[in-house]
Amino acid sequence: MSEKKGLLKRLAEGQVWTSIFRGGGVPKSRRQRMMVVLNSVFLHLHPVRLPKHAVKLKFTWCMGGLSFFLFLILTISGILLMFYYRPTIEYAYTDIIDLAEQVPFGIMREIHRWGAHAMVITVWLHMFRVFMTGSYKPPREFNWAIGVILLLLTLLLSFTGYLLPWDQLAIWAITVGSNMARATPFIGSEGPGAALLAIGDINFVTMASDIRFALIGGRFLGEATLLRFYVLHCIGLPFIIMIFMAVHFWRIRKDGGISTPV
Amino acid sequence: MEAFKHLIDTLSKPTILVSFTFIIFFFVFPPTDWFEKWHKKLKFDGLWSVKSFWIITALLVGFFVTGLSDPDFRSIMLKPDNVPIAGLIFLVFFFTWLSMHQAYNNDKLIDAGKPVDEQYDAPNDKVLVWPDLVYIELITIILFSAFMLVWSIGLPAPLEEPANPSESPNPAKAPWYFLGLQEMLVYFDPWMAGVVLPSLIIVGLMAIPYLDNNKEGSGYYSFKNRKLSIAIFMFGWLVLWNLLIVIGTVLRGPNWNFFGPFEFWDSHKIEALTNINLSEFVYVKWLSTGLPGNILIREIWGMILLLGYFMILPPLLAKTWLKNLFERLGVARYSLFIVLILAALTLPIKMYLRWMFNLKYIISIPEYFFNF
Amino acid sequence: MPEAKEKKSVTVPPASPPPAALGKIDEGSQVSRRSFFSWLSIGWIAFVAATGGFFTMMLRFFFPNVLFEPVQTFRAGYPEDYQAGEVDLRWKGKYGTWIVRDGEGIYALSTVCTHLGCTPNWLAAEQKFKCPCHGSGFRKTGINFEGPAPRPLERFRIVLADDGQIIVDKTKKFQQEKGQWGDPEAFLKV
Ligand code: HEM
Ligand code: FES
Repeated sequence: MSEKKGLLKRLAEGQVWTSIFRGGGVPKSRRQRMMVVLNSVFLHLHPVRLPKHAVKLKFTWCMGGLSFFLFLILTISGILLMFYYRPTIEYAYTDIIDLAEQVPFGIMREIHRWGAHAMVITVWLHMFRVFMTGSYKPPREFNWAIGVILLLLTLLLSFTGYLLPWDQLAIWAITVGSNMARATPFIGSEGPGAALLAIGDINFVTMASDIRFALIGGRFLGEATLLRFYVLHCIGLPFIIMIFMAVHFWRIRKDGGISTPV
Repeated sequence: MEAFKHLIDTLSKPTILVSFTFIIFFFVFPPTDWFEKWHKKLKFDGLWSVKSFWIITALLVGFFVTGLSDPDFRSIMLKPDNVPIAGLIFLVFFFTWLSMHQAYNNDKLIDAGKPVDEQYDAPNDKVLVWPDLVYIELITIILFSAFMLVWSIGLPAPLEEPANPSESPNPAKAPWYFLGLQEMLVYFDPWMAGVVLPSLIIVGLMAIPYLDNNKEGSGYYSFKNRKLSIAIFMFGWLVLWNLLIVIGTVLRGPNWNFFGPFEFWDSHKIEALTNINLSEFVYVKWLSTGLPGNILIREIWGMILLLGYFMILPPLLAKTWLKNLFERLGVARYSLFIVLILAALTLPIKMYLRWMFNLKYIISIPEYFFNF
Repeated sequence: MPEAKEKKSVTVPPASPPPAALGKIDEGSQVSRRSFFSWLSIGWIAFVAATGGFFTMMLRFFFPNVLFEPVQTFRAGYPEDYQAGEVDLRWKGKYGTWIVRDGEGIYALSTVCTHLGCTPNWLAAEQKFKCPCHGSGFRKTGINFEGPAPRPLERFRIVLADDGQIIVDKTKKFQQEKGQWGDPEAFLKV
């Protein structure tokens, strides 16, 4: 009791600190270090201990982790962009210009755009590394399949995202993309088989009732299209990808962590 | 310098570039023992040494640096949306090298009867996540954030002209990661290139763990014990995906014509590309009878060809060339595997048919939007 | 091990209900096995139908009832405004239509590439429409001859109004591969 404690140490052992970070103080003992991971909702995505090769950069390349980190960057910067961007044909393009020229620290759009490019690359390389270490083999088959869906969702997020500036790239990409949907067998009005779904002269799969119509909200590109892709990009797809990421992370743990030689 | 550029332009003609890649590919990533023998004889195993890493990197950097002095090449590479492509070329090479380098090291260890590099003695060799992993993560996050900041400050995000429905840009390119898909659209009808083949890619990727029933090589880099699966994956990933993207970015110019990387993008370059369907080949060119009116008779040859390709070829292969594989995989796995592989191979096959004979469709029934 | 087993069998509670309770069950009200299953299947069918209905509603939700579309019919001036042998670009931007006059008359071509919908460019020097997206080429008539486009460009209904002006009606399309170009309204004789 007679010992004088420093301010930091007193804070670290005080009620407030220990109520947030149980255990108190800097984790030095083996037990404390294990408790840190177990007690934190974020850190306990990780196991407490790992095989030593699993923490080496040359094994995982950190690509999965970077993909997740980029997803977080994209979520945050994306939410910020939503404060200025209006998804209408009249304003979309000028709002994008304003984001660079009028908005304080006008690089949020840059971060979002380049981050999206980077995430495609990291997810892509992550898949490559998982293949090369044979980590898709039992018991991780299902998690690989989840991963493929994550790759698909990442690409769809990019696709819906670059439509939003409503520039030349945007409308021609959506023109081409939505016309591909029109060529879907049976449910697209110009797909093989669509002509068979008819009674006499009445066609059921037409320009005003096929999958493209539902996708772009009309027979021609327009306001409805932009709004649809905006909602998909900002709410729909992120929501879905978060669910799949949660499953992905959970399965990594349940499948025994980073794969190891048997 | 001009001679060098001319050489590169000539070599990057699609027929030459793609044929060269196809031929050399399986000697670099040998799928069978026979190929492996040649792989060793041709000294391709030296590719994955540290020395070749530096040589190839130096060559790549040299190529880019000298290339950038050329205005045509510069205008392609420095287009903001293409910048990640340059990064991708280096990253794909680096990580291919890194994984193969570790794989070959492990193969040597296995040959010598020693444990692989990743071998660990559970549970003694375990490390604590705090601090061993969290500090790596922290440093990675900090460095990567810094990198993203510099990139974002240095390079404005791309934005093209405002949307104009009456004027498609020439060429109208998708972002780089879809250029492989856009390239497929040239050879296949939209329902194939835009719907069926992408779905098959997804299904095929998901099926990998269920098709590859080789237990060996899980949890460590290796090549020797899983030659076939690595060679196939690499072919799909490196050639049919990444190479097509590079072709789409660098070699496709105005009016979607092919241009060499150092060639001027002349929008008036004329290339006669009059396309002919198989039915026209048969009835007009060979039999000189004119196209029959009946759709079924008109397209019967293409249908026979396609049925043969997907129905007769697989059992034939199972009996002959792929006998061992068939026995290892069993009927169900083998069927899925061979259909996926054959479907993937239709892409290069149709590419060649287009380039060599201007063949457009094998089956062409525009009346029902069915073209293959 | 055998000890553990013995212990377990001792602690298991009696499976049958106390005899007093047994007597109270009314034989008639008991649900027989068969009727239980048919109730169960009705329940499941209702459940699947309700869920299916709900998802159908959700799907239908994506098909709007009211559309806001650009004007589909326009007046394109007098036939004398067009020169024989020329492809006229003046309505390309606003209405997505090329008006072409040849020796016999006038037709209205859609500017939508039949491949995936880009807008081709008219290259007068080569006398062809060339699409920048994937390289399809069309002749002046609209017939496709190169690149991936699967069929010719579409033609719109073209007629003369009472005042002698040309009316182009984009809601009615004529497709060559269906043999519709012979239709009198697909072509304006002058
Ligand atoms: C949004 C995209 C993705 C995120 C955020 C993500 C995240 C992660 C993370 C953090 C790990 C831990 C190990 C590491 O960093 O390498 C991991 C492992 C894994 N990932 Fe992904 N991933 C994504 C996409 C994919 C894709 C596209 C695939 C494959 C097609 C895949 C398959 C796997 C498998 C099988 C493992 C277990 C690897 C092992 O045990 O060694 N993931 N993922
Ligand atoms: S859209 Fe015209 S060629 Fe593809």
